[in-house]
Amino acid sequence: MPARTSLVRVAVGLSAVAFGTVGCRGIPSEKPPIHLQQNMDFQQRFDPQEPNPMFEDGRAMRLPPEGTVPVGWLMEDDHLWRGRGPDGRLVDALPPGIKLDRKLLDRGQERFNIYCAPCHDHLGTGRGMATRRGGGFAVQPKNLHEPRLAAMPLGYFYKVITDGQGTMLSYAAQIPVEDRWAIAAWVRTLQASQRASASDVPEEARNRPVPKALAATRAPEGGAS
Amino acid sequence: MPAIFPRWTNHIPVVAGLLAPLVGAGLIFAVWYWFSPKFTDVGYRPKQPVPYSHRLHVSDVGLDCRYCHNTVERAAHAAVPPAATCMNCHSQVKSTSPRLEKVRESYNTGAPIQWVRVHQLPDYVYFDHRPHVAAGVGCASCHGRVDLEDVVELKEPLSMSWCLDCHRNPEPNLRPLDQVTNMAWDPAEHDYDPNKDPMRKRKVQPPTHCSGCHR
Ligand code: HEC
Ligand code: HEC
Ligand code: HEC
Ligand code: HEC
Ligand code: HEC
Ligand code: HEC
Repeated sequence: MPARTSLVRVAVGLSAVAFGTVGCRGIPSEKPPIHLQQNMDFQQRFDPQEPNPMFEDGRAMRLPPEGTVPVGWLMEDDHLWRGRGPDGRLVDALPPGIKLDRKLLDRGQERFNIYCAPCHDHLGTGRGMATRRGGGFAVQPKNLHEPRLAAMPLGYFYKVITDGQGTMLSYAAQIPVEDRWAIAAWVRTLQASQRASASDVPEEARNRPVPKALAATRAPEGGAS
Repeated sequence: MPAIFPRWTNHIPVVAGLLAPLVGAGLIFAVWYWFSPKFTDVGYRPKQPVPYSHRLHVSDVGLDCRYCHNTVERAAHAAVPPAATCMNCHSQVKSTSPRLEKVRESYNTGAPIQWVRVHQLPDYVYFDHRPHVAAGVGCASCHGRVDLEDVVELKEPLSMSWCLDCHRNPEPNLRPLDQVTNMAWDPAEHDYDPNKDPMRKRKVQPPTHCSGCHR
């Protein structure tokens, strides 16, 4: 029946026009999503990191006024927050509240791999991926197994993470204080591992195959230097 | 006497009878297809003030998501990093690149870089990254393969049904707790059973009641 075929044609034609003008799902576009209910979607409050035109610097998240201390941030524990003992010297022990156990080292390893390995690599030899790209670093990250650093007290690594050192900037804003100590403990572990000999490995563990998770953290090509 | 209605009007009921369902179906289709967030939201890919590329930094340089979005495990909001985080590296590498001009300016003056927000739920929805990351839902499940994108694009509709589809049956979206930020981890390649994972202390129970997400 001609009427029906022309109807099908019209339908196909119309939908082709519709898709052509309106577009398909998932096409990348710079146009923002459509919000029909503006007042409910955007309420009279600010999300974290949202801009707020009321303030001169345009931020909704305010910085604490100068000379004030937020609750819980007095940081009067020198050992925990500054890695220094009562005599003002760098300590060589974890703060009393942090226990050295498997959990701490696992945490330290994980955090080290996130925050330090891009530059110092997983073993701490200072040849991380970020330093091999785009022309390389102006100052090469330090090899954490240098004799000078191997002799440093634990508090020194905490201090470097917290305050930075030379061209390495501070990581205090990115890493909470307990994690900084966990990383320091892991740096110590790495250093010990590089000075270990076969006799340090317990008898029954010597021929155990390397677990897959560890194999991935092995030295990059070229090995430790 | 001539007929009042010409002959062709005899077809009107037939044509209308055939067209009406078609038009109706077309309307329903159009609403279903084009009024959905899968059309109105997915694919949003705004131009950012700095040509920052996740592909380069995550896939090539090998950064973990948490290096920059460091609050994702600790807070509801996954912070977009301040310029200081970029300067950890960019004070050393590409330190004179014109593409990083805005980053250096922000670092020196303290004025924030005005990143354009891509993922945004309506304000009446409560969303928190913490329980999701702690339950082992990968970033890739909700944000797509960000590590393969040069410009971040909205990949999921972020609609209520999208949340609920997962909340009603979360198990296929769970992965080992240490693989959350591993974008390449593919659930299809591993037959991971969350119920047998000794690292998990309890069964996950995502809320499906209204006050879970509308508090
Ligand atoms: C953006 C790259 C980068 C990252 C990430 C990084 N470092 Fe460094 N690090 C450097 C550079 C560069 C130096 C050398 C600084 C200098 O001598 O001016 C350095 C030096 C050091 C030193 C030696 C300081 C000294 O006395 O010479 C230690 C210890 C150290 N880093 C530890 C860490 C730890 C722990 C982390 C993880 C929290 C970390 N670094 C993350 C780049 C980095
Ligand atoms: C070097 C720092 C860095 C790393 C590493 C990084 N991101 Fe980002 N990310 C950013 C910056 C800067 C933005 C804001 C600019 C933009 O949207 O491109 C952003 C934006 C995003 C957004 C969009 C935010 C919005 O506005 O909705 C998502 C989602 C995201 N990142 C996910 C990830 C995931 C997942 C990873 C890990 C695979 C990751 N990021 C790793 C810096 C980083
Ligand atoms: C861990 C180190 C690291 C961090 C942190 C980092 N980058 Fe990079 N970035 C690099 C490296 C290395 C390159 C060069 C890669 C290449 O060219 O192969 C690069 C390249 C770039 C480029 C391209 C520059 C050019 O001229 O080609 C831009 C833009 C950029 N980064 C933006 C950012 C922004 C924005 C941030 C902060 C959110 C950031 N980066 C954080 C390591 C880093
Ligand atoms: C269950 C799904 C889900 C998972 C898993 C998830 N996100 Fe998100 N993400 C969202 C949603 C939804 C938003 C929008 C939040 C809003 O508007 O309040 C968002 C927003 C963001 C933003 C923009 C800033 C913000 O918080 O609004 C960043 C950056 C981000 N996510 C990074 C990540 C990273 C990195 C991971 C992995 C560690 C991750 N997300 C895992 C759903 C998820
Ligand atoms: C890919 C799967 C997935 C998606 C998508 C998802 N969720 Fe969830 N969500 C979970 C899981 C799994 C849990 C349970 C965590 C637990 O039991 O520990 C959860 C828990 C929650 C909780 C409970 C938090 C608490 O404090 O108890 C809220 C609220 C929530 N999700 C909101 C959302 C919203 C809003 C969306 C959509 C924007 C969303 N989720 C999308 C997997 C998902
Ligand atoms: C898993 C989280 C979750 C749960 C549970 C949930 N919602 Fe929602 N709801 C959402 C999200 C996300 C949106 C925003 C959807 C969008 O932006 O398109 C939403 C939107 C809505 C809207 C506004 C729709 C619109 O387009 O304006 C209503 C009304 C609503 N929800 C009612 C409910 C009711 C009633 C229940 C309980 C039966 C419920 N929700 C349970 C996540 C949830």
